[in-house]
Amino acid sequence: MSATVLSASGGEPTDAVRADPASKRDLWIVFWIFPIFFSLFGVIFVLLARVIPPPRPDVTTDQKVQWFAAHATTIQIGFAAVCVVFGGAAIANGYVAYQMKRMSSGSTFAYAYMGSMAVGTLPGLLLVALCFLAATFRPREPRITALLYDLGMLSFNGSLGCFATGYLAFAIAILYDKNQIFPKWLAYVSIWQIVTEVIATQMWVSSAGPYSWNGSIAFWLAVIVFGFWLNCQGIFLKFATDRQPAGTRPVD
Amino acid sequence: MTNTEPTAIASGPPASISSGRQSGVHLPGDGHMWFMVLGDLVIFGAYFIVYIVQRSMAPAAYLQAQQHLNITIGVLNTLVLVTSSWFVAQSVQATAAGQHERAIRLLYGGGACGLLFIAIKACEWSMKITQGYTTSNEFFMFYYMLTGVHVLHVALGVLILGIVVRELRNPRRQRLSVVEQGATYWHMVDLLWLVIFGLLYVVR
Amino acid sequence: MQILAEAEELPKTTNIKTQLVALWTSAVSALILLIAFIAFPGFWPPMSPRLTADEVASFYRDHTTWIRFSMVTFNLCGIMLLPFFCVVVVQMKRMASQSQAFAYCYLSAVVSGATLFALSDVFFAAAAFRPGRDADLVLLLNDLGWIVFIAPVGMILAQNLMLALAVYLDKGPNPVFPQWVGHLSLLTLFAMLPSACAAVMTSGPLAWDGALSFWLRNGAFATFTVVMFFVVRGAIHRQAVVEGVAR
Repeated sequence: MSATVLSASGGEPTDAVRADPASKRDLWIVFWIFPIFFSLFGVIFVLLARVIPPPRPDVTTDQKVQWFAAHATTIQIGFAAVCVVFGGAAIANGYVAYQMKRMSSGSTFAYAYMGSMAVGTLPGLLLVALCFLAATFRPREPRITALLYDLGMLSFNGSLGCFATGYLAFAIAILYDKNQIFPKWLAYVSIWQIVTEVIATQMWVSSAGPYSWNGSIAFWLAVIVFGFWLNCQGIFLKFATDRQPAGTRPVD
Repeated sequence: MTNTEPTAIASGPPASISSGRQSGVHLPGDGHMWFMVLGDLVIFGAYFIVYIVQRSMAPAAYLQAQQHLNITIGVLNTLVLVTSSWFVAQSVQATAAGQHERAIRLLYGGGACGLLFIAIKACEWSMKITQGYTTSNEFFMFYYMLTGVHVLHVALGVLILGIVVRELRNPRRQRLSVVEQGATYWHMVDLLWLVIFGLLYVVR
Repeated sequence: MQILAEAEELPKTTNIKTQLVALWTSAVSALILLIAFIAFPGFWPPMSPRLTADEVASFYRDHTTWIRFSMVTFNLCGIMLLPFFCVVVVQMKRMASQSQAFAYCYLSAVVSGATLFALSDVFFAAAAFRPGRDADLVLLLNDLGWIVFIAPVGMILAQNLMLALAVYLDKGPNPVFPQWVGHLSLLTLFAMLPSACAAVMTSGPLAWDGALSFWLRNGAFATFTVVMFFVVRGAIHRQAVVEGVAR
């Protein structure tokens, strides 16, 4: 079967003939990395590294040092694991960008999404791992350890612009898409993501209360909306993969 | 006249959501817009609840900060926005009656009120900032956040009204459902303001 | 590769030519990076994580010039390898039996990975910037530089995984890359994987100066890149022949 057909593929009637699944193997491999990576992410960041939910900003230097001491082992295991598996984020986001290319709205926002997510991975995911690994690497002056605590949390929870840009690209692309790769309401959820992120920027200002990096508004509300959005994105990524005709590729 | 082709705002709803329409019940607007509106209300509702909880933990401090809000400006903003909602509601009726020119004029009126609202809000903010009330105070943090996110919604609403006007200008379209969607969004923005006004300005 | 005279002015020839330009500029950049690598005193031998703050601070004071030279060079030329990886993306997109999903994920990983290299460079440069800085702060910057340089291998692993899978699934009469490229990618992946432990270990082969985390990791990556240079060159040549641009 010739697979060099270049088609602006996308939505087709739901009664389309299912093509040979083996020929979509590459899509499925990449798709499954999405939930696998985010599950690992959850286990590592919640159970091992203990940064979701985040440790408090309104503590003393000594308390920060004690926090690192109490969790050093799991932090090291978890974040060393992050150093190995964080490439899954690139694959997950790359695959979303790929599906976005199948939209009739063109490649512009697919590339914008890819760009902003690829850039955002460093401050928004990896930097906390690197700072906390440095903090637990050797005993240091308390003020330096406390610095790494703040640095890690402020970048992890506070790197919002990159992702807001990505979500905006995602939302706009969906709203203009006539190939129905993703449902329209997912665009609205993406916009809520942006709103919660814009509000969460205040965590660089407040060290206590609802707008601090562990606050009810800047953290909890934002992470609940994020969790909902991520699950929706994953589910509809699967539907989009289901519906993509085998042997097709997006417009170059 | 039902909406069957995808638009920039919301596409024709998938079969699961439009079942209400097929059974003869007319849900004004579109399933997607209602999803957006309800979700927005839920999220804002969460913010309001947090505000109320935080306020109850420090009522004296909040009360003292609230004194510095000018309730007159708040009332003025409320009147402006309610008037705009009246214009927009009228324009829906005008569209349904086929009076597209009148509908467009009413939408301009609604949009102009929206812009006026934003201008008044901007003045209020600059007054507060020059008076020294910034986000360092917890009440004012909520004030700036809630009114800020709301004013972004108003700006988006003005944009949406513009899209509706463009729809009405195109003689091949002029779909009622698009006007209804725009109105739904605008009324939500109005409703949110009423709650914000009540919580921040009035309840003392 | 000889571009045919009659194909010189064709538009499709420019695609071949730009790939070759990307290939060769990356080769030059790689050579310069090699010089910078040799010039950085901290690699010969690789600095031990067990050095004290004072020892690290005096290292930066004593070798400031060479450190700065190498870091500036890394800064300029490190990301200049990017075009090479982009040629790989272009070739991956040519694989006939695929949907190109691997290629786009590969590109995402390349971009993210490049930001890391840039960051570690900044830490080393900052450590060398003020020789009079407190020793415990220089130690911190040095630690961060080393950890960021060695440990986060995830993006390179993702790249190599995508490339290996793409090669293995590139079935059909005209594969873009030979099958052993897939094996080599995976081999490199496993060679580099253990160096994530450098963020945790202070001694032994897994520490950032150790045989696994430093020598094997960097040696494997360099070898892979050099081999891929020739592989990609061959792929471009085959593309040119298929498209009638070269003989």
